[in-house]
Amino acid sequence: MLCRVADSLFWMSRYIERAENTVRLADVMLQTLLESEHAQDDISYSHWQPLLASLGEQEIFEDLYDSHDSHHVTEFLIFSRDNHSSVFSSIAAARENARMIRDQISSEMWEVINKLYLYLKNTDAKQVCHELNFNFFRQIKEYSLLFQGITESTFPHQLGYEFIECGRQIERADKTCRILDAKRYMKTTDDQKSDSLDYAQWAALLKGCSALDAYRQIFVADIEAANVRKFLILSRHFPRSVLFCIQKLQNALHSISQCPITHFSNEAERLVGRLISIIKYSTDKDLEGDGATKMITEIEDELAAIAIEINKRYMFSEIIDPALDTEEKKDDSVTSQSQTSS
Amino acid sequence: MSVHNSETNMQIKYDLGEFYDEMFASPGVPRPHYRNLLERFAELTAEEFNLKREAVDLSFLQQGITFTVYGDQKSTERIFPFDLIPRIIPKNEWHHLKIGLEQRIQALNLFLHDIYHEQKIIKDGIVPREILESAKHFRKEIIGMDVPNNIYIHICGTDIIRDDKGAYLVLEDNGRSPSGVSYMIENRQAMKKAFPKLFQQMGVRPITDYSDHLLSALKHIAPKNTLNPVVAVLTPGVYNSAYFEHCFLARQMGVEIVEGRDLVVQQDNCVYMRTTEGLKKVDVLYRRIDDDFIDPEAFRKDSLLGVPGLMRAYRAGNLGLANAIGTGVADDKVMYCFVPDMIKYYLDQEPILPNVETWLPYREKDLSYTLENMENLVVKAANEAGGYGMIIGPAASKEELAEFREKVKAKPRDFIAQTPISLSRHPTYCGDKGFGGRHIDLRPYIICGEKIKITPGGLTRVALREGSLVVNSSQGGGSKDTWVLNSDQ
Repeated sequence: MLCRVADSLFWMSRYIERAENTVRLADVMLQTLLESEHAQDDISYSHWQPLLASLGEQEIFEDLYDSHDSHHVTEFLIFSRDNHSSVFSSIAAARENARMIRDQISSEMWEVINKLYLYLKNTDAKQVCHELNFNFFRQIKEYSLLFQGITESTFPHQLGYEFIECGRQIERADKTCRILDAKRYMKTTDDQKSDSLDYAQWAALLKGCSALDAYRQIFVADIEAANVRKFLILSRHFPRSVLFCIQKLQNALHSISQCPITHFSNEAERLVGRLISIIKYSTDKDLEGDGATKMITEIEDELAAIAIEINKRYMFSEIIDPALDTEEKKDDSVTSQSQTSS
Repeated sequence: MSVHNSETNMQIKYDLGEFYDEMFASPGVPRPHYRNLLERFAELTAEEFNLKREAVDLSFLQQGITFTVYGDQKSTERIFPFDLIPRIIPKNEWHHLKIGLEQRIQALNLFLHDIYHEQKIIKDGIVPREILESAKHFRKEIIGMDVPNNIYIHICGTDIIRDDKGAYLVLEDNGRSPSGVSYMIENRQAMKKAFPKLFQQMGVRPITDYSDHLLSALKHIAPKNTLNPVVAVLTPGVYNSAYFEHCFLARQMGVEIVEGRDLVVQQDNCVYMRTTEGLKKVDVLYRRIDDDFIDPEAFRKDSLLGVPGLMRAYRAGNLGLANAIGTGVADDKVMYCFVPDMIKYYLDQEPILPNVETWLPYREKDLSYTLENMENLVVKAANEAGGYGMIIGPAASKEELAEFREKVKAKPRDFIAQTPISLSRHPTYCGDKGFGGRHIDLRPYIICGEKIKITPGGLTRVALREGSLVVNSSQGGGSKDTWVLNSDQ
């Protein structure tokens, strides 16, 4: 498979996952705000801040918009062309990547991405933001799930599929971390600390990961911090938990290299194996208070490093050819380029 | 005539004017090969027709069968407008076109081989040396170099028009990378979906084997002793206006589509693709990048699209290129004037398909004629395409004519003058106006491998604006499915 094709498959999938997760976050946030006691605009912005901060987008938003009400945040997260992680930008980027490799993917895959893009493009942003059109959010999520289903059942489960899997699982694990991280910001910005508010926040986070039902099946009792963290980080069975995603990522990487999972054949595989151990062998204490924050930050950083190593090994950076001496190799890695960034 | 009243059935009627109409011999009297089609269309209600039309447009958009229009600050993607009324060519007319095109491509390939070797046609005084050496795309770099099987133009898209008597004329030969073939194939798919019954009844010749012929022509130029040649399509990338087509062809042939940055030329003068498993050798490239940009080592140094060292591999015989380097010299409109002479010179035959009557300001006699009669002529720059760099005398103002006269006087070599041809017209759906006659041309696709293969039909382009003669997609053109019949009616 061409390196460029592997790169595009990875990013096509990663961008779609990113769009879906951003919609999930916005959706949950808006639904939570509807039930909030304070409806005034600046109070609701204090609810948005943690989310924007966890996505690393608070600064860009405040630069771009003078008014910080919910409509504008929603507009920024979903439709903004200036926000490179907005749902629109992500879908446009997914489509560009798909367009580059449309000879490689099934026509059904291309058509669903193209339809989603046209749907977003023709959606009246004002209408969605002002009238809170939840149907719109559901549509985007369904398109993403449709794409995954179509990929599953129309795309050969070979090398290309594993790169799609890598992109999706890295993004998903990262977003679950960020959703958990958002809770940290919520605590510090809210003065009125009360149990019911805390409960509502954790419930919202679980909903954001589509995890509320699955959580309830395991933890019959109240929703509490330690259990939610345990569930979203350590569950071996829930498809959006961090450990689950990273194990899927590991399987994909080893399918690509054909190296047995007990060993590693490149830096990406080594980092993934180590990260899995860190998560698996963590103690209750590691998931409490500051420990949890440290752990989540570490996972996010490691995921970023793994993405870089995958890119180096399989995409543009190296010419793997024994005939070339190392000097030439370095030169080539400087001039070659990747068209995407995280 | 309105198509919006859903009760009425479809009727195609309009003023035929002074033009050759493809469908009607005279008002109300269809030509024999259109009779069947007209009867079937008359069974459709206007509403049914509109539903079919909308379904086809939507499916083009959703499949992303689009091209890119440049010009605004950001380029935009559009679908190539498609007209549901097919253009029909009866068997005998197609035969005439086919043998004419075969003759022409043979002469062109002999010419290209000659000018890059002995240059007999120059020495015998048929084509002036000055014309050849001043041709923009003449590549001195490949003089003396042999290309596989002496084929230079493997894929050709000749533009054919019909005059007011219905005679087929060659407007230009596109011997570099003619585009549009994907629309030819997709148009057929769309028509088959929209009118399945019609196809059963009409006896339309299939076009599906285009990509098979293309692939075998490409394998035909693989380096010697290559058992299973690796073929790839080389594209300038996703922002090229024809990117959809590049992907389409790669997918149809089941080969990789590569960009310049996917390829490297190693010390052994072979071309390799960068793959996730390491480097993999490439034997043949169907390149859709112009000569100028294909290798920054050999041609334009600033090209980011090309592959450094590609020409080294080509020269060493380790790479087949389609089309060959240097075919653009035959696309020079001045060289076009000499094609009938080439046919006589190399094949000792009379040209079957004539050129449009053309004057060469390069010749003094033609220069004065051109300057004196410019208001009655079409004058074109020799090396522009897409309808740019030309003046249509009868439609131009005095100032425009004066300005263009100066241009021609300054560089007579760079221009040709032609009699304006009022292209034939074809009934076309024109929105609220119902049906109207619109000017069309035809681009058949010729593949030159072990044998010459011409797909029956080709791409019919239609100038959708009333009265317009410009069929280019970048300037308001659309297209039609083109049917070559198994019979004469």
